[in-house]
Amino acid sequence: MNASSHTPSDTEDAQKQPMKHSCEHHAECMKIIQSILDDEATEAEKDHFRENMDKCLPCIEAYRLEKCIKESLSIKLVKRPCPQSILDTILSKVNS
Amino acid sequence: MSVAMPESITTNGYTDDLRYEIFNREFMPHIDSMYNFAFRLTMDEDDANDLVQDTYLKAFRFISSFEQGTNAKAWLFRILKNSFINDYRKKSKEPSKVDYQEVETTYNSEEASDTTYTVDLRADAVQELIGDEVANALNALPVDFRTVIILCDIEGFTYEEMAKILDIPIGTVRSRLHRARNLLKEKLKSYASSMGYDS
Repeated sequence: MNASSHTPSDTEDAQKQPMKHSCEHHAECMKIIQSILDDEATEAEKDHFRENMDKCLPCIEAYRLEKCIKESLSIKLVKRPCPQSILDTILSKVNS
Repeated sequence: MSVAMPESITTNGYTDDLRYEIFNREFMPHIDSMYNFAFRLTMDEDDANDLVQDTYLKAFRFISSFEQGTNAKAWLFRILKNSFINDYRKKSKEPSKVDYQEVETTYNSEEASDTTYTVDLRADAVQELIGDEVANALNALPVDFRTVIILCDIEGFTYEEMAKILDIPIGTVRSRLHRARNLLKEKLKSYASSMGYDS
């Protein structure tokens, strides 16, 4: 086999593998999913994620859920502006 | 006209002009984020107003200890968090709202976070929730757990910045966040169930 073609070949192999319906190291995977979504993952965690995440159903669903919660917190929560009166008080006290 | 303020004597090389410049340029742009952080910690409008005001006045008073070019937002959040713990947490209504059994169980049980811990909640159900429901679920968390989620998911601080703001090691940030999220999923699950989104 041509060494340069190993990536597509691996991908094809992965696609042929049956999807896992249970994850024997789900607790560890959850920590990795957290690191990935928080953009804090190490290279080893990124490698593990790339190699495993497309063939393990519980991890795929967990990733979707964690991503959705994170995005909901960031997008859906109302961000209030600081009341003008507080701004005025701060500036007047600082300048006095 | 230059007003001679007592603090100006003790500043580390910052002239009065520079102190005002730093305050306006580095600190003021973060006031809305600070206000939201204060409101989410105290869950009370008056306390949030006082906390933000106190924090900014402290920041100005101690501006000499702020190093230009460093992360002003993290520096301000740290002052606000410390002011909250020292001045507001004691008098807030928070203690009666906290389920101490829940806190103790979640803090002490390593197994709770290290074994396979799943909440039967689907992403689709979360997508159906509106902002108020997500906010209520967040507000239902004990304040230490609420804080890490606010800092990470709402304000976008890195683990390293959170460690500095909270005075805890990065490993503790990581594990506290993990536990906070598990707890949040439970709260979201009960909202989703009550709204019939999870069926």
